[in-house]
Amino acid sequence: MAYVRVDRAVKFFPREDGSEMLVLDGVSFDAKEHGITCLLGPSGCGKSTLLNAIAGLEKLDQGEIEFRVPGSTLHPTSHIPDLPARSPKLGYVFQDPRLLNWKRVEDNLVFAFKGMKIPRESWQGRLEKYLSLVGLLSFRKQYPLYLSGGMRQRVGLARGLAIEPEILLMDEPFSKLDQLTARQLRQDTVDICARLGQTTMLVTHDVEEAAYMGDRVVIFSSRPAHILEVVDNPLEATERDLDDLAFIRFKKRLLQTVLKLVDQEGV
Amino acid sequence: MSSLDSITPAEPARQDQAIAVPTGAGSASLSTEVSFRRARSAAKRQTLRDVGLRVASVIALVSIWWLLSLFFPPSLVPKPWDTFAEVGVIVTSGNFFTEMGATLRRVLVGFGLAMIVSIPLGIFMGTLRSLESFFEPPVILGLTMPGLIWAVLAIMFFGLNETSAYAAVAVTIAPMLAISIWQGTKSIDKDLIDMSKVFHASAWSKVVDVILPQLISHILAAIRYGLGLAWKVVVVVEMFGFSNGVGYQVVRGFNVFSMKAVLAWTITFLVVMIVIEFGLIGWLERSVTRWRPRVEAWRR
Repeated sequence: MAYVRVDRAVKFFPREDGSEMLVLDGVSFDAKEHGITCLLGPSGCGKSTLLNAIAGLEKLDQGEIEFRVPGSTLHPTSHIPDLPARSPKLGYVFQDPRLLNWKRVEDNLVFAFKGMKIPRESWQGRLEKYLSLVGLLSFRKQYPLYLSGGMRQRVGLARGLAIEPEILLMDEPFSKLDQLTARQLRQDTVDICARLGQTTMLVTHDVEEAAYMGDRVVIFSSRPAHILEVVDNPLEATERDLDDLAFIRFKKRLLQTVLKLVDQEGV
Repeated sequence: MSSLDSITPAEPARQDQAIAVPTGAGSASLSTEVSFRRARSAAKRQTLRDVGLRVASVIALVSIWWLLSLFFPPSLVPKPWDTFAEVGVIVTSGNFFTEMGATLRRVLVGFGLAMIVSIPLGIFMGTLRSLESFFEPPVILGLTMPGLIWAVLAIMFFGLNETSAYAAVAVTIAPMLAISIWQGTKSIDKDLIDMSKVFHASAWSKVVDVILPQLISHILAAIRYGLGLAWKVVVVVEMFGFSNGVGYQVVRGFNVFSMKAVLAWTITFLVVMIVIEFGLIGWLERSVTRWRPRVEAWRR
């Protein structure tokens, strides 16, 4: 139902000396509906820029991002003229928690509720549901700076989920966490996303994370970014086990693709 | 590239980890609770020590004053306790509250006017480049302008009345407030603005929930400096021929060459200042920064 198509996206960034640097060089792919699409590529290749463009924080220089969500479409490129324009409901989980440190945990979620015009009656229920989903219900009255880094990141995750987005964007959400916390959160996120069924796009430079979380993996080249390959995960979310041979084989395949391509690019 | 590769192969399977969730959250809560308590008792000890040091500093100042009074005649350096007695006379005589009230009113009205103008001005200068360029010269000029000149100009323009006192105070401190808030606005976290855009926060919510809380420490600093500056200007204005206010009383002491009266009025003035600084502004600061952990590990 909620689908995202990126179509020949091109983006330049101005350099200090006034010239322009090509960041996205005609990127096209479809996100997996109701699943997790991992955007995998080396650091600084433009994956996050693309995610920001999808979120509306950046404008593309060329190309389209097409959404189709129940009720309507955002971009004129879609071919359903009768429906009124409606933006898809987007959730975003950032690389750092980006919380309002002067607001209690629950008020950080309420901030998003207010912005997304979520009816007040459902606030209480959602707070309880999503804070317990990330294991932080007992910390709802706490201020973020009194929590650990992993807990703060989980608040950010709860905020992204609690607005019940049609499309959830995640920008390396676990990269700054220690391994054990990251591992736990990856697993929790896969479970939660499977249960809620929103379309999710996750940016990462970690091959194992992509193999573990992605129902589809979109492999980016280094800058200027183009798509090297789009791979669907042969394993269902429930079948993925870090120590299982089938999983390791898939991870290896992704890694080889990335390495081979990086080799060709001469990096 | 893969961050988990380095971990030992004997990893528990996914089901085992699922059980670990509540345990993890529980132990985290316990350890944070303990560290809160420890931090709190350490903070209490520190507060006690800080208060002690401040009292010691006041005693040292009075002692120096007393030493000086041994070498100079009382008409130049009166004894501290004689001056404190004079303070008592001033406070009990009844005109203290009307005089101090007049001065306070001038300070607060001028200060309020300056705040109303400079908070939005500072925010606009910090967010809009064109307004920054346009308002930068007058703000910098205003900052270098001596308060005494503003006092003269205000009295010449408005005459000897309350309006000139309000105007002189407001015009003197407004540039300083505006600069402080302008600089504060420029240091605002852009990532949080992006976050608020992603979640479609309204313009009002962006200002109230995202921008103003980041400015609060700058605004508090501006209030401190602003009040200090306002006192200095208002006394000058009052000296020019007002018939009440602390400045007027100081000039009266000067006219009869009573060092005791000049010092006594100055002291009452300082005490009121300190009450406002530590009581009112300190309370304001504590109540708006409760979200910030108070343990300052890097300070000794």
